[in-house]
Amino acid sequence: MPGPLLEIRAARRSFTTPEGRDFAALDGIDLRVEDGEFVTLLGPSGCGKTTLLRAIAGFEQIDDGVIRLDGADIGPLPPHRRPVNTVFQSYALFPHMSVARNVGYALEVRGVARKSREAAVTEALAKVGLAQFGARRPAQLSGGQRQRVALARAIVAQPRLLLLDEPLSALDRNLRQQMQIELKDLQNRLGIAFVFVTHDQEEALTMSDRIVVMRAGRIEQAGPPREIFRAPKSRFVAEFIGETNLLPAVVRATVGGMAELSLEGGQVLHARADSLRPGAKVVAVLRPTDLAPAEQGLAGIVRRVIYLGADLHLRVEPEGGGGEIGVILRDAGRVPAQGERIVLGYDPARVHVMEAGA
Amino acid sequence: MRRLPLTVFSLIFFAFLYLPLAVIVGYSFNANPVNMLVWEGFTLDWYRGLFGLDRSFDPQSRTVYVESTPQMLAALRNSLIVAVSTTCIATVLGTTAALALNRYRFRGKALWSGGLMVPMMMPDIVLGIGLLIFFTSAGMRLSLLTIIIGQCTFLTSYVFIVVQARLAGLDPALEEASADLGASDWVTFRKVTLPQLAPGLLGGALLAFIISMDDLVITYFISGSGSQTLPIYIFGMIRRGVKPEINALATLIILASVLIAGLGLWLRARGDRK
Amino acid sequence: MTHRQRVQLFLLLTPVTVFLGVFFLIPLGTIAVYSLLTPGLYGGVEWSFYHWNYGRIFGWADGITEVFEPVYLHILLRSLGLAAATVAICLVLCYPVAFWVAGLAPRWRMLFLFLITLPFFASLIVRLYAWLLLLKPSGLLNTVLMGLGVITEPLDILYTPVAVILGMVYIFLPFMFLPLFASIDTLDRSLIEASGDLGARPVQTLLKVVLPMTVPGIVAGGVIVFIPAVGNFIVPDVLGGAKGLMTGNLIEQQFLSSRNWPFGSALAMVIMALVLGVLLVFSNRARRAGGRT
Ligand SMILES: Nc1ncnc2c1ncn2[C@@H]1O[C@H](COP(=O)(O)OP(=O)(O)OP(=O)(O)O)[C@@H](O)[C@H]1O
Ligand SMILES: [Mg+2]
Repeated sequence: MPGPLLEIRAARRSFTTPEGRDFAALDGIDLRVEDGEFVTLLGPSGCGKTTLLRAIAGFEQIDDGVIRLDGADIGPLPPHRRPVNTVFQSYALFPHMSVARNVGYALEVRGVARKSREAAVTEALAKVGLAQFGARRPAQLSGGQRQRVALARAIVAQPRLLLLDEPLSALDRNLRQQMQIELKDLQNRLGIAFVFVTHDQEEALTMSDRIVVMRAGRIEQAGPPREIFRAPKSRFVAEFIGETNLLPAVVRATVGGMAELSLEGGQVLHARADSLRPGAKVVAVLRPTDLAPAEQGLAGIVRRVIYLGADLHLRVEPEGGGGEIGVILRDAGRVPAQGERIVLGYDPARVHVMEAGA
Repeated sequence: MRRLPLTVFSLIFFAFLYLPLAVIVGYSFNANPVNMLVWEGFTLDWYRGLFGLDRSFDPQSRTVYVESTPQMLAALRNSLIVAVSTTCIATVLGTTAALALNRYRFRGKALWSGGLMVPMMMPDIVLGIGLLIFFTSAGMRLSLLTIIIGQCTFLTSYVFIVVQARLAGLDPALEEASADLGASDWVTFRKVTLPQLAPGLLGGALLAFIISMDDLVITYFISGSGSQTLPIYIFGMIRRGVKPEINALATLIILASVLIAGLGLWLRARGDRK
Repeated sequence: MTHRQRVQLFLLLTPVTVFLGVFFLIPLGTIAVYSLLTPGLYGGVEWSFYHWNYGRIFGWADGITEVFEPVYLHILLRSLGLAAATVAICLVLCYPVAFWVAGLAPRWRMLFLFLITLPFFASLIVRLYAWLLLLKPSGLLNTVLMGLGVITEPLDILYTPVAVILGMVYIFLPFMFLPLFASIDTLDRSLIEASGDLGARPVQTLLKVVLPMTVPGIVAGGVIVFIPAVGNFIVPDVLGGAKGLMTGNLIEQQFLSSRNWPFGSALAMVIMALVLGVLLVFSNRARRAGGRT
């Protein structure tokens, strides 16, 4: 069985701060990307996403560790010798060249003959839906069109791996959603592996085969979107991915794959979970969308009701105390009133339990 | 309301700036040979005299003041040789320096970027005598070569600053994108950096050319007897007394400078629009 | 940095470093050395230590080897005074105009900025020559003033320090204008409105908001004008006469007519020290006033 397309082991990179202290932007990164995979790097600002991408592209040297592509160590290679291309956040289109020449640049510098170059450019532009725009200058394009040109330029030489650093962040919301779909489609058609950086967890969830959550130069958790969303390994990941309720609790008992948790205010929460030790301090992760009025469940008083378009957001104070619980109702039959008592039902399988320290 | 006095003041300011130049141009067409400050009618005689064209002068009434047209033309030739050479050398030196300081991180960088400004800030008389002592101690005969070397020291600073400013305004991601797409450093420089840099380079070169053509003080100390440049020739003329031909020559110089400066500005405006 | 980058950096930086090292640093060094050598009898130098070059200027001459002549100190002070006056006048003239230009519509702004820089490109010697013509007793200035009845006798400005200041102001105006304009132009106009809104009279706004915020431009312009002014010798040579002599003329004489190079070097060292002092003091101040830049 062939190895992974990209393999990064124990990569480290430090910068010296102006005050002269060393600061690790990458602090021991282990990452594998398989051929054709769509991997998203997600994390707060400054956690090292760009640095990691630049290390793969060759713009930054790592101080320690290895980066292998198709099994070969590419660490010593300068950027132009790596079969990896980048879509820059600012697009970085050459302003003094036409769109067609921009797109054909990678072939031009490889000495590809004009004829076959033109064919490849036409094809790449067609793939991003800009067949008619070859003669324009980048300055004469809209933001979304520039984005597509940058994409076409990066794929024209058929790299093994495409790196995208927040490529959609400069676009407005509608265009952004449209581009998410197009990008994913394109990736499926090309079969090129993508490493995609974003701030936006929704974007990460919809597009990726695998999400890598980073924090302060380390990988906090990596896995398929569903796993990251449903079973975060730490409070950090749980809070970073979507709105969530984190309820501190103590394990009372476990019976046949079902755990009985006692919340701070004394109410009981059931969760489907194995291997929990009675008496252990845990945190229960409960998504606001997984709660709804029911006969049985957590009781509390509605403190605030907020309309948000189709959604109805509630803040509920649990009976007996403890922090407020957020609830999002997709279609509320009857709208609960402020100050009203409410019982929130849930599916124990959707309650994720993690250790209190995490 | 408070705008009006400000406008009036500003317009007077600009008049002050241009009046002296206008006066020279005016006088250069004044036919009065004895007192050129009193208007006597329009003439082109001084221009003709300048180029040794007018042989019809009556030496009794109208002295042909131009010492020798060949000398003036030789000075002009020297100036052009010096300006072209210094422009080439200073542009290369200033540009390489700017590239080094803009594209690489290294220790002592602040020292270099500060040090590269010093030749420009040094009072020219100090630099002039320093070079004079240096060249004579080194046994170099003062010639066009010493002038070229001497001017290059401070012209490099000017080019450095102009090119540096342009480089700083360029998006470093463009060069990275080029490398990312497979271009070697040299190809990236040729296809991406240089075309982007062109307006700055041209601007720096033009500035160097103009300043070189105009340099008086440093050249004054390091030009030998056979290597007069145009400003030094004029300086000599003025020291020997004011004559109408100087007006004609000065007018031509003003015209040339305006043309070159206009060209430079036009190039810059074009560069900015891109 | 990779090996490849180190090689590139070396190739880029070496030529300029060697060139300026040999043809700039060494010449400056030779001035320092010469200023401490003994002047030879007929021009030349003798290679022995000699501090009287400075003694002649600052007053520790023993009266036998060299004589202290206060005139040198006097001329040095005059140079300082003339340069300072030039800076002050340039500032007063340029400040309002820079303000005015900054407030113009973009097209007009471009035009007037062009008009400011244009004379800078017209030959220095030609521009000075123009003032020579203007200031002559029979020149345009006197003709006009007498014609208007402002004066009855021709003003005798030419070959006085006043003429020198006029000439230097004229030549260095663009040097002052551009940095001033840069700092005035980046000034946030809403700050001026805010100050007025809070009840400040225009003068108060000028003194308390506008001036403090444009200090970096004022300092930069001042330094850029002061440095070439204090060592200038062309302007006093053309317009100054004996009464307008400056240190630059002294230096020139030592090198080209008296042939006392060590003494000339000592004078040049004094000018260089002044310039470096001004640069050190004010580049720091400008940086502090300008915040991060
Ligand atoms: N050249 C550099 N010199 C010094 N520090 C740097 C350099 N590049 C990055 N850093 C630091 O390394 C850390 C990681 O930066 P990086 O750009 O990788 O973050 P990021 O995750 O991409 O953030 P963002 O989401 O804001 O783009 C940051 O704290 C940053 O300040
Ligand atoms: Mg980033």
